[in-house]
Amino acid sequence: MGCGRVGAALATMLEEDGHEVTVLDVQAAAFRRLPAEFKGRRHVGNGIDQEVLARIGVGGADAFIAVTQGDNRNVMATQMARELFGVKRALCRIYDPIREEIYRNLGLETISPTLVGARLLRETLERAPPAGKTGG
Amino acid sequence: MYIIVIGAGKVGYYLAKELLAEGENEVLVIEKDGAKCERIAEELGDIVLRGDGCEAATMSLAGFGRADMVIAVTGDDEDNLVSCQVAKVKFNVPRTVARINNPKNEEIFRRLGIDATISATAAILAHIEQELPTHPLIPLLTLRMGLEIVGLKIPPTAAVVGKRVGELMLPQQSLIALIIDSRGSPNAPTGQTVIQAEDEVVAVTRTENEGALRAALTAPSTSEPFGAAASGQ
Amino acid sequence: MEYDSLQVQDVLVPVDGSPAGFDALALACTLAKRRKGTVYAVYVIEVARNLALDAELAPEARHGEEVLTKSEDVAAELDYKVEGEILQARDAGHAIVDEAIERAVSAVVMGVDYETPLGEFDLGNTALYVIKHAPCQLVLLRAAARE
Repeated sequence: MGCGRVGAALATMLEEDGHEVTVLDVQAAAFRRLPAEFKGRRHVGNGIDQEVLARIGVGGADAFIAVTQGDNRNVMATQMARELFGVKRALCRIYDPIREEIYRNLGLETISPTLVGARLLRETLERAPPAGKTGG
Repeated sequence: MYIIVIGAGKVGYYLAKELLAEGENEVLVIEKDGAKCERIAEELGDIVLRGDGCEAATMSLAGFGRADMVIAVTGDDEDNLVSCQVAKVKFNVPRTVARINNPKNEEIFRRLGIDATISATAAILAHIEQELPTHPLIPLLTLRMGLEIVGLKIPPTAAVVGKRVGELMLPQQSLIALIIDSRGSPNAPTGQTVIQAEDEVVAVTRTENEGALRAALTAPSTSEPFGAAASGQ
Repeated sequence: MEYDSLQVQDVLVPVDGSPAGFDALALACTLAKRRKGTVYAVYVIEVARNLALDAELAPEARHGEEVLTKSEDVAAELDYKVEGEILQARDAGHAIVDEAIERAVSAVVMGVDYETPLGEFDLGNTALYVIKHAPCQLVLLRAAARE
């Protein structure tokens, strides 16, 4: 759910791994981010509408991943996939680290790109710079 | 009572005003939009906090920890859900109430622990049910596990008129629980009960089968009205 | 045509312990004297929302008492008297405006320090609110700019 840069890249990777992937976005224009060879289904619709989730067959999915720009939309859709459609793996992106912690404690599988990104940058900084790259 | 209202649109504004008028309440409105905050401050006084009602920092500042009730009435169901959930989980607010814009969200909100939901859409639908003779399916109540109770009136043109309940081809996991005849008498139907025009049918169905159920109960017989005219000759 | 200057009688002065606040108080006494108006010195304790409005805030109340005592001294130097008052409110600006309405004063005299938190002068939200919303005359005394 959410065909932004992350959603499109993730959908492509998962398909390359051999999974059947369906992409949902509120805007048809978002699907331009998918490569031409992407075979999965593309659906236009609102992921926090249970009728939409039923229509695209979330009930039969092994995993549901919410990566829209809205933390709250992701949180709500993920909980709907779990509670209403019994999806076993429901992953959710939450930018706000505090909210992420709250929902992790409630049992959602959550990722905060804010914290992950900051940690990656710190680790990169702490490593020695690659040799021969200084001064160009 | 200390009552926190999230969202200062029309609903939030009038709600805060009424709660204040009761006199006993301490009320705080949380709103992101500066202009809406100013309107509240000008007209209702110093009872507004500008910020995001889903953000834990704002919630701490607002004193959610001592709130007796949180009422989330923004125009976005997902924001109302998260405000109420965080209020419950992180701040132990005893009672949370959410406005829902999509009446279908009632069940998920309840299952996620929100104490009460209010849907203007559902309230209006319930109200106009009696007014419209051939109104489509009315969702009356959302049950657990994707089931719901719906009501509809059998139009005189429907193919099911004159058929027994046992003969009906209903979608999976749908059943007719109650038939109210045109004189207003409620009956628990058996397989032998005959469907009459203008019967009000209360049925249980799965959310995704709503459309199929409506079609099964309201679709006109294919030869109407000429068939009926022909048989009369 | 004769000009009847400054019809000031009762005056409200917010005091917070800053020099600008005491200067404003001195100015208020001078203005009120001519018509023997009352000068109200108001100290506002802003109470965070996570506390009840009537919460016991001992250190803040003590500071308020000190500021009001000093206010009396300032007035005494000018042979005048003030009525001191401590208020608890969520927002000082609202409290000052509400009090000005309640007391039906003819002017608010308010002092602001020359604060440059982000490199340039910032009036502050409280003063801004009072300037916008006070129903009576408002005299603003800004402290001298510092180099």
